Amino acid sequence: MSNYFNAFYTMIYRQIRRFIRARSRVVVSIVQPILWIILFGMGMGGVFSFSNPMIDQFIRQQFGGLDYVTFLATGIISMSVFIGSFISGISVIFDKQFGFLKETLVAPSPRAFVLLGRAVGDSIVILLNSTIIMALSFLIAKGLRVEGVPVAIAYGFLLSIGFSSLGIAIATKMNSMEGFQMLMNLLVMPLQFLSGIFFPLQRMPEWMQLIARANPLTYAVDGIRYWLTGVSEFDPLLDMILLSTLSLIFIVIAIITFERATIED
Amino acid sequence: MQSVIETRNLVKKFKDVVAVDSVSFKVYRNEIYGLLGPNGAGKTTTINILITLLKPTSGEAYIEGIDVVKKPAEVRKRIGVVFQDPTLDMFLTAYENMYIHGRIYGLSGKELEKRIYELLDFVDLKQYANKVVRYFSGGMRRRLEIARALIHEPAILFLDEPTVGLDPQTRNKVWEYIMRIRKEKEITILMTTHYMDEAEMLCDRIAIMDHGKIIAEGTADYLKSLIGSDIIIVRFQEQRNICLEPGNGIISCKEIVGGGVELVVRDATKILPKIFEEYEARGISIAEISYRRPSLNEVFLHLTGRELRDSLEDTPRPTRRWR
Repeated sequence: MSNYFNAFYTMIYRQIRRFIRARSRVVVSIVQPILWIILFGMGMGGVFSFSNPMIDQFIRQQFGGLDYVTFLATGIISMSVFIGSFISGISVIFDKQFGFLKETLVAPSPRAFVLLGRAVGDSIVILLNSTIIMALSFLIAKGLRVEGVPVAIAYGFLLSIGFSSLGIAIATKMNSMEGFQMLMNLLVMPLQFLSGIFFPLQRMPEWMQLIARANPLTYAVDGIRYWLTGVSEFDPLLDMILLSTLSLIFIVIAIITFERATIED
Repeated sequence: MQSVIETRNLVKKFKDVVAVDSVSFKVYRNEIYGLLGPNGAGKTTTINILITLLKPTSGEAYIEGIDVVKKPAEVRKRIGVVFQDPTLDMFLTAYENMYIHGRIYGLSGKELEKRIYELLDFVDLKQYANKVVRYFSGGMRRRLEIARALIHEPAILFLDEPTVGLDPQTRNKVWEYIMRIRKEKEITILMTTHYMDEAEMLCDRIAIMDHGKIIAEGTADYLKSLIGSDIIIVRFQEQRNICLEPGNGIISCKEIVGGGVELVVRDATKILPKIFEEYEARGISIAEISYRRPSLNEVFLHLTGRELRDSLEDTPRPTRRWR
């Protein structure tokens, strides 16, 4: 039994250690979302302000009563978790090319634990990042609440573990980093627009809403937004349940894929 | 004798290509067993099956009597592997690489730390423990991988082309470590190589593989004796060249340019004493006698009709001399 957890803890340690070594990654993954909030948030925020209390009030209502920068900031925090997690699967391809993956495949511990350790390790790193982004966005967006931060992080973890697992599952089946990155870009773009990061679901066309409701990211964005601002489109408990379910499905897919991995893939 | 590694009619097909074709061999405890053959002969595939990374198409393989297909986890506990291609985490330090490996294999705390430093010391990398592996030379990486594979004290060590791509000095160094491992630790080693000198230097027994099959197996001396002829060169005190008559293991004899005679014989180790006696009986004193054995390259040539591909290095023929 202890054997199982050895692999689990060790992979966590390894993923964190690697991240600490890659300082440029730390900086980029924090600076980019902040730039989104400032440049896109303030730019777009300008479009939505008319120095007319009546119109401004009406527009705020479209964003659940939040100013656009605050609305966007909560979305971008979720987005940073989402993209970070999804992309983290690339380390599997990296490990394939540099051979470290084989090293973990001949280890005597069950592969499910190697995989979970990997996913959890990446999630911890990503959440540390996102907590810093969250802290910085308090300086930019005015409507954020401090009390909700711990719960928001919990939602972030569920999101992260789900998408890290999915990223690992996809990466296990792929051999080229370029291919993986292109596929990720292809998937990330629609998923982030179909999640309520930039605009609320209720203002989307019917068909878009339908797809958005099947997107785990939607519930993470909604839940995190609720805990950081008190505004949400769904019941935050429902968010939690759906998010956990979808993440769990991704984890199971990843375990099955990883368990079957041979060096022939 | 109980075998530590055993394969029975092992077959692995990749689509239409038969990579391993009915391979059977046994490796005994504390033996260094070598699979020698050109690239693409099926050596690495055989190892990958034994270390549970590939499933055989048919046939069986056992590590300490455990079926590698049925109980891969049990097998994985008992083996250490140094892969052909590097498998280190380039962004971590030597110590961290060792630490992660040790932890995955269930070691921890002071004991693990002690083992890491012992092994880093063993491969002369102790002073580089906290350096990031990316900055290591090829030889240092190889040594670190060997040290890492030993951390959980495996009963069996797999070395897949341990010195491929290394310069001659580094190769010698790696050979030294392998010989030291075998001397100091209770361990069985299965290695692959396409270097004949390496197989000859390190392996107790060698299986020559070609096109997925084992075409000959035995000690280096046995394999060479398959060719059946050694060459003995005799030089005399007086400037006279006296041939011995063929027969009794001597195949032919001729004078050579620059003095002395060359005898082609069936088995030099057995014939040498006779030659001494023969010349002594005739009252001729020998100044110098040397013999040359056919190299494994000639054995390969003899068995397959081809040169051992990819072994482009000009390996000097081992020459033994007595004065």
